[in-house]
Amino acid sequence: MKILVPCKRVPDPDQKLRLNADATDIDGSAVTYILNPFDAIAVEEALRIRETAHPEAEIIAVSIAPAEGETDLRTALAMGADRALLIEHEGQIDPWNVARILAAVIHQEKPALILMGKQAVDDDANQVGQFLAAQLGWPQATFVSKIEFTTDGLRIHRETDIGIEIIHVTLPAVVTADLRLNEPRYASLPSILKAKKKPTEHSTPAKLGIKPEPRIRLLGMELIDSQRTCEKVTTATDLLDRLRESEVIE
Amino acid sequence: MTEDLSREIFGNLGETSKVIFYALAFVSSGVFAWGVWRRVKLWRRGRPDNECIDWKEAFQNLRTRALAQRSLHGARPKASFAHRMLFWGFLALFIGTILVGIEHYGSALAGRESTEPLFHKGVYFIIYEITLDTFGLLMIGGAMWFAFRRMRRDSSIEHRTADWLVLSSIIVLGVTGYLIEGLRIIREDTAMPGISYVGYGCSKLFSSAGVNQANVSSIHFGLWWFHSVIAFGFIAALPFCRLAHAIAAVFSLAYSPRPLGRMEPVTMEEVEETGEVGVGRLEQFTQRDLLRLDACVSCGRCEDMCPAHEAGKPLSPRDLVQDLRKLMETSSPSSLHGETIGSETLWACTTCNACNDICPLGVRPADYITDMRRHLIGEGELRGAPAASLQKMQRAGNPWGLPEQDRLTWAEGLNIFTVQDNPDFDVLYWVGCSAAYDPRTMKVARAVAQLLQHADVNFAVLGPEERCSGESARRMGDEFLFQELAATNIETFTRHNVKKIVTHCPHCLNSLRQDYPQFDGHYEVVHHTQFLGELVAAGKLKAAAASDETVTYHDPCYLARVNGITEAPRTLLPNSLKEMPRHSCQTACCGAGGGRMWFDDPATERTGSGRITEALNTGSKTVAVSCPFCLTMMTDGITAKDATVKVCDIAELMMNENAESWDNSDP
Repeated sequence: MKILVPCKRVPDPDQKLRLNADATDIDGSAVTYILNPFDAIAVEEALRIRETAHPEAEIIAVSIAPAEGETDLRTALAMGADRALLIEHEGQIDPWNVARILAAVIHQEKPALILMGKQAVDDDANQVGQFLAAQLGWPQATFVSKIEFTTDGLRIHRETDIGIEIIHVTLPAVVTADLRLNEPRYASLPSILKAKKKPTEHSTPAKLGIKPEPRIRLLGMELIDSQRTCEKVTTATDLLDRLRESEVIE
Repeated sequence: MTEDLSREIFGNLGETSKVIFYALAFVSSGVFAWGVWRRVKLWRRGRPDNECIDWKEAFQNLRTRALAQRSLHGARPKASFAHRMLFWGFLALFIGTILVGIEHYGSALAGRESTEPLFHKGVYFIIYEITLDTFGLLMIGGAMWFAFRRMRRDSSIEHRTADWLVLSSIIVLGVTGYLIEGLRIIREDTAMPGISYVGYGCSKLFSSAGVNQANVSSIHFGLWWFHSVIAFGFIAALPFCRLAHAIAAVFSLAYSPRPLGRMEPVTMEEVEETGEVGVGRLEQFTQRDLLRLDACVSCGRCEDMCPAHEAGKPLSPRDLVQDLRKLMETSSPSSLHGETIGSETLWACTTCNACNDICPLGVRPADYITDMRRHLIGEGELRGAPAASLQKMQRAGNPWGLPEQDRLTWAEGLNIFTVQDNPDFDVLYWVGCSAAYDPRTMKVARAVAQLLQHADVNFAVLGPEERCSGESARRMGDEFLFQELAATNIETFTRHNVKKIVTHCPHCLNSLRQDYPQFDGHYEVVHHTQFLGELVAAGKLKAAAASDETVTYHDPCYLARVNGITEAPRTLLPNSLKEMPRHSCQTACCGAGGGRMWFDDPATERTGSGRITEALNTGSKTVAVSCPFCLTMMTDGITAKDATVKVCDIAELMMNENAESWDNSDP
């Protein structure tokens, strides 16, 4: 059984972001990147499947990023993925086209299961999993907090606004991981160094026969001033006055 | 008159008896040697370690800890007292027996009759008899005490059936020794029998029971053999029972244990060679680590001291060592992790070093833990919040993952110079991550910096160039993350020509003092309480004001127990200081050491909640601390108990006093 885990690199959410000169993108020069935390959960789940239900499973991590994105794929390898595939691509790419590229990879690799984060913490689009299932014509299970193997597929817990929804999907399928699916393991430096020996294949959208056709055009970006200030008030009346002054309440 | 005083060695025993005696002695010593060799073979399964014995220290350890039985921090006073009685009694009788042996062979070599002793006579004999009769009583008394404790099924000690055999053998050996002495006094009609006062008492009892010179020989003969057979059995059994600790302890103390708070580095070459890091299998411990497992007699002093055990965490240092010892005895020890030692047990340790410090025989439970943690880290067996902290240290150089540009937020409006602004500084103020990013600790740094400024200290800070010291990473088992951070910091120190460092964080202090020199970073590192103490002594600052309100002081483990700094903080505290029962070097951990700071525990299950109660029980209005982690743990713990007690760093208490006078003097 092959498990394919799409991994996105995202700017470190703890660091301060700056915009580039024409405000069309974040300033990549000052950014440190990390593996999208939801994708790390997906990698962890793939590892657990290999440790329990399917010891023969092969885990392939795939990323679409510039060449230096290999560093973040190495995190997935250090956690325990068997091999990695980097689709080199500079610049922004919208979810529909990400799904197209991944679909092309999937036609080549023929995995039985796609495990991925429900969304990336940079643009929070939450679309690739759904698009990918649609393009492949596969069943999908999104916002997943529990996966169990049954004789003919997967029994899955989905986190919805009103509670846990339990569904059954047949394989192959696309499954997107929510926060509570698991706690990812820690990849220490020796394992990252060891991961350098694992195979990483490089490709491009063109080699996969995909020419990105953007459906979304980014017009501009704007930073929000997140500076918070504190002020002490002595009475409840003062508090109400201050809230009214700052137009938080009427 | 005393010249005639003596007794006949092997009196009442014929040549056949002597031959059988020596045959038994040979067998018994053979079994003893084989038993010891069996243990040595187990120890030799470990990695060889290249350290040489420091003979001076070895001798000192053996003298103070073994011979003098020096009590450590008065732990378990009754058991320690009983052990001293048993040990000294046993030792005196052992030496006495050897002296008799020397006398016996000496006079045989000199061609004397057994009735003409070389030195076993006269005044020597008087002293000998009085001494040995007294020490025999001590030995029996000690053994009885232990037997009584076992009879009560005291749950603080481990019970094995063989323990009864050991204790009863000692008691029987002691008692039959006196009985034989009594019978000998009757048989030989020894002069001045009163010097062997216990034996003399026995002889009186025997006489009143009708034993006389006519019938004494056969009883003496029988009892003498009974005593000898038990003695030989005892010697043979020694390496196979709990008493083996005495043999292993000699080695354990001779190979001086590492200083508290010091860890052995691992090199990347070793890891590349073996593909493994840390201890995953028993053979990956060093030979010294393994022999120390046998030195553990399971007394439980470490368990008494363990803050994780006190908080109900699944960790007992004693059980951990005993589990490892049992595993060492199995023929093909499997993995240590999982069934033998659960990862929850290993992560529960705060590396407070209380167990390492208290062990009378130099066993280092916390060192086994940190060695095994390295394996867990290598295997990716760490999840959740603590794993995230390590990731953040790795990518951002601090456990919160926050930007390095924010490292000077605390200094806003204080006119603090960085090493760039003031390259000719005398002392570097190492601020640490907590004061850089935790709003509460920022106030501590503000207090320290203002005190230094007002005392005209020429200091500078690294600002954005500072990185996490890596202390907690190392103690969590992430050796290479630590080494990476240390290398970066050492490079920065070299670039700015750093010689002397002052810090308010005992964890950073210990790391800079004990970890960094292993990687060629040698600096004079002092705690802010030491540095401020010098400034107070020089009249440049005032200590905290005298006050009616009582203050208690919580000693940080890495400041007090590990680095022995207990006086300096106290010179800065107000005279209303009220000590907690556990203070100074015997402090109790707040629960945040060893990386526990980064674990998410519900407030009720936190290690250190007993310490909060202890602090509150002093009735103090203020708990003074001198460590950012203690500050956090104490504050959170006190809040969780709904108490209204202030928690302040000593520097903050000093600020209250000093700032007032600055206001008055500089209008």
